[in-house]
Amino acid sequence: MSKLLIPPAVLLLVLMALLSSDQDDTAADLVLASDSEIFTLDPQRMSWLADMRMGYALFEGLTKWDTTDFSCHPAVATGWTVSQDGRTWTFDLDPEARWSNGAPVTAHDFLWSWKRLLMPDTAADYTDLLHAIDGGEAFFTWRANALQNFDPTRDDAEALIQETDRRFADTVGLVALDDHRLQITLAHPVPYLLDLVAFAPLMPVYRPAVEGWPENPDLIHGWHLMQPPSWSDRQFVELNSKTGRIEADHHWARPGTLISNGPFSLDRWRYRRDLRLVRHPHRKDGADAPIQSVLVRSYPDPTTALLAYRSGEVDWLTGVSADMRRELVEARRVSDEQDPDLLTRSTHAKLAYGTEYVGFNCRPTLGDGRPNPFHDAGVRRAFAAATDKQTLVDMVSGLGDRVTGMFTPAGSIEHYNPQGGISFDIARAKEELAAAGWTYDSDGRLINGEGDTFPVVDLMYSTYSPRYQRLCTGLRDQWIRNLGVDVHLKGQDSKFFGADLREGNFMVARGGWYGDWGDPTTWLNMFRGDDGNNDRGFKHPDIETRLNEAKMMADQQARLQSMARIEEDLFQEHLPLIPICQLVDVSMYDPWKLQGMTKHPRLVQYVADITMVSPAPESDAP
Amino acid sequence: MTPMQKLVLWRLAQLPLILLAVYTLTFVLVWVIPGNPLEQSEGRRPAPAVEAAMQAQWNLDDPWTFYWSYLGDISGVNWLLGNQQGAVFDFGPSLRHENWTVGELIGDQLPVSMTVGIAAILLALILGITAGTLGGLRPGRLIDGLTSGLTIIGVSIPAFVIAAALMLVGGVWLDWFPIGGWGSFAHVVLPAIALSLPFAAWIARLTRQGVIEQLQADYVRTVRAKGVSEHTVVLHHVLPNAMLPVLSYLGPATAAALTGSFVVEKVFAVPGLGMHFVDAVLSKDVTMIMGVVLTYSALLVLFNLAVDVLYAWIDPRVRVGASA
Repeated sequence: MSKLLIPPAVLLLVLMALLSSDQDDTAADLVLASDSEIFTLDPQRMSWLADMRMGYALFEGLTKWDTTDFSCHPAVATGWTVSQDGRTWTFDLDPEARWSNGAPVTAHDFLWSWKRLLMPDTAADYTDLLHAIDGGEAFFTWRANALQNFDPTRDDAEALIQETDRRFADTVGLVALDDHRLQITLAHPVPYLLDLVAFAPLMPVYRPAVEGWPENPDLIHGWHLMQPPSWSDRQFVELNSKTGRIEADHHWARPGTLISNGPFSLDRWRYRRDLRLVRHPHRKDGADAPIQSVLVRSYPDPTTALLAYRSGEVDWLTGVSADMRRELVEARRVSDEQDPDLLTRSTHAKLAYGTEYVGFNCRPTLGDGRPNPFHDAGVRRAFAAATDKQTLVDMVSGLGDRVTGMFTPAGSIEHYNPQGGISFDIARAKEELAAAGWTYDSDGRLINGEGDTFPVVDLMYSTYSPRYQRLCTGLRDQWIRNLGVDVHLKGQDSKFFGADLREGNFMVARGGWYGDWGDPTTWLNMFRGDDGNNDRGFKHPDIETRLNEAKMMADQQARLQSMARIEEDLFQEHLPLIPICQLVDVSMYDPWKLQGMTKHPRLVQYVADITMVSPAPESDAP
Repeated sequence: MTPMQKLVLWRLAQLPLILLAVYTLTFVLVWVIPGNPLEQSEGRRPAPAVEAAMQAQWNLDDPWTFYWSYLGDISGVNWLLGNQQGAVFDFGPSLRHENWTVGELIGDQLPVSMTVGIAAILLALILGITAGTLGGLRPGRLIDGLTSGLTIIGVSIPAFVIAAALMLVGGVWLDWFPIGGWGSFAHVVLPAIALSLPFAAWIARLTRQGVIEQLQADYVRTVRAKGVSEHTVVLHHVLPNAMLPVLSYLGPATAAALTGSFVVEKVFAVPGLGMHFVDAVLSKDVTMIMGVVLTYSALLVLFNLAVDVLYAWIDPRVRVGASA
């Protein structure tokens, strides 16, 4: 018997050891529960909203957005001038701006960070933002080709890097006029540049931290004054002599090594547990703010996150469980911010900068080689006219998503108002079909001139969310009823879904798109034939030409008008996709407790803007 | 060399081969899944040139290069050859969570899963042995029906139901425990209970069976005939023998509990390895999948070995070596 007690006793000892080694406190002034995990804290590598939210807390770009209207404020840049032709911008930087180690933030930091974004070695999602800079695209292409054709027996990686640096300095329109003046020369006018430079991937990073330079007391005066250490002395980057590539170890973006210039600095980050921010030690603006520390907790299960909010463990829930959303939003709709019920007054449903849509494969043939009926814009218009969006959205969501005829969410970009779209009209749908050569025979079947019936429509969606399935089921019923065609649902795991989309192996597919910056280009670029996100294979010379013309216009008003006409044509004539509705974002915070939450049309939220109302005893009364 | 030493050496010698087979099989399976870890299957997609650059950086465009170079990194060969600094067995960075290395993530999360797992196994032993003994001593009676009923419930209710119910009662209604998270003893209780129930149910069944068998054995009749108290009969004679099947179950059960449970970890927001593994598979995070699968495999082999050794030590009737 005594021997038998040994295994449990050993287990018990191990348990005690584990428990005693893993105790900690998680106190912070503001606790937020992120609805999705944080992938990276490296601004140039960011592409997710949750990452960027942290990016804006840790780093600061040239400008920042106003979260109540459309304007942009100075941030690291204190002022700027722009040339007559709109192509040369000069930014004056704040000489007092400091990195969290006390070193000055200079024009060289922006220059180096943007070069990093542009280098193919970094493989950044948002590289193409800098193609707007004169010579930027050519530089990217040149380096990408040089790396592709790199032959270690012939080429020298170090020599290639030196040539790369030389080319960047000579051909790319970025110059540090002095330590605190940055000049940008653009390939074409970018009237929304102030909006663009506020975007997370364009925030500066601190080169000695990113590359892992050895400690040196002289760094405090600015790294640009020093000779960079040899490659072997840089902890986080390596120059691969076999491929010519700079290979980066992203390990720098962690507590202890991450140096930031934003309102906060990184105190702790434990993967999937929590991330803790404290106020930046060298900034005066936050010194007496009520929120000195922020804790981001990770709750993989949204229902658990909601329970944690209810119990007061969390102050701000950035997203709400899909199962609970409808009920909460409906309760809130008949109430207001004074409701005594915590969950009811805390529910905030806001229209997001995102659109749900159903996209057509526009290629002449389908993935299996059959002719594609949706290659014909008339057929696409017919299916759009046969879609009763309002009924669909009421059935699927119940959150108050706004039905839309255009792709860009209405009112989200100042002075940009494309109008119209195809509304629900069965008679028109049938006329469009007839004009495209599809008529009904005596049995009510839809046939073409050769007597072939309209092929079965495959409606593909990802099984990532039950919402997508509900939407497509509703849509199938409408198309069967309104057009007499046969529609099959094809639910796919998101990996297969993504692969099929990219290969053009679908007929019709559900999708969603969120804009990145405050200009219609973030919505319309994907209708260019060669765009990486043009899953639909849509190509139209007229649209392409007009997009290019608009790109070259310096007059912002004229440019926006011309873009609006393009968008109207796209969604009244060409219909590469049917916009269904503007998506709704549901978050939770107690309006009696938190202030400074965003009213921005694109829901940009700076964590640093949040303030806390001290809980006075009388505030408990409704 | 004793048979026991032979067994241990033989099993340890097999370990690298087993791991190589697991590596190869996992590699094939991972490459069959469509998509790649560097892309989001829904949402924005980078330009083709950028994507090619990403793929090339990790050899994802060339399976064979990946297979051999990664094998060299993780097996310690590259370290021995001096091609690699730092860790001997270098699993590299997680492709999905690039600020972290796979080694760090496993080192961070395995102890969390282990804490919950060990607590669950200990709890399961207490609950299971008690229930099984009570039932086994009075087969067919009310107490047996009751414990057997509970056992069936324990085995058949899915973990997510148990977890949600525990969270509702312990976290929301009674407000005794925090709602999810990690960092104190209170955080361990609910997940450990949720994870323990299926194991407890199995242990109860094994114990009950063992107790019933042992009670009918001749030696028990002899002991009873000698006038030994019933209490001593059960504690000193019946239970130790009835525990042997439980002991052999304990090896795989402990390995399973230690490696974490996706559902329990997700519901209670426990930052353990089980949940991360499922996510790694879903996002095709190749390096993370490899790291976790190989760690699991090694753990499983080692635990089974430990149980075999213990078994032979506790019950000398078991002969090792012959069939190893």
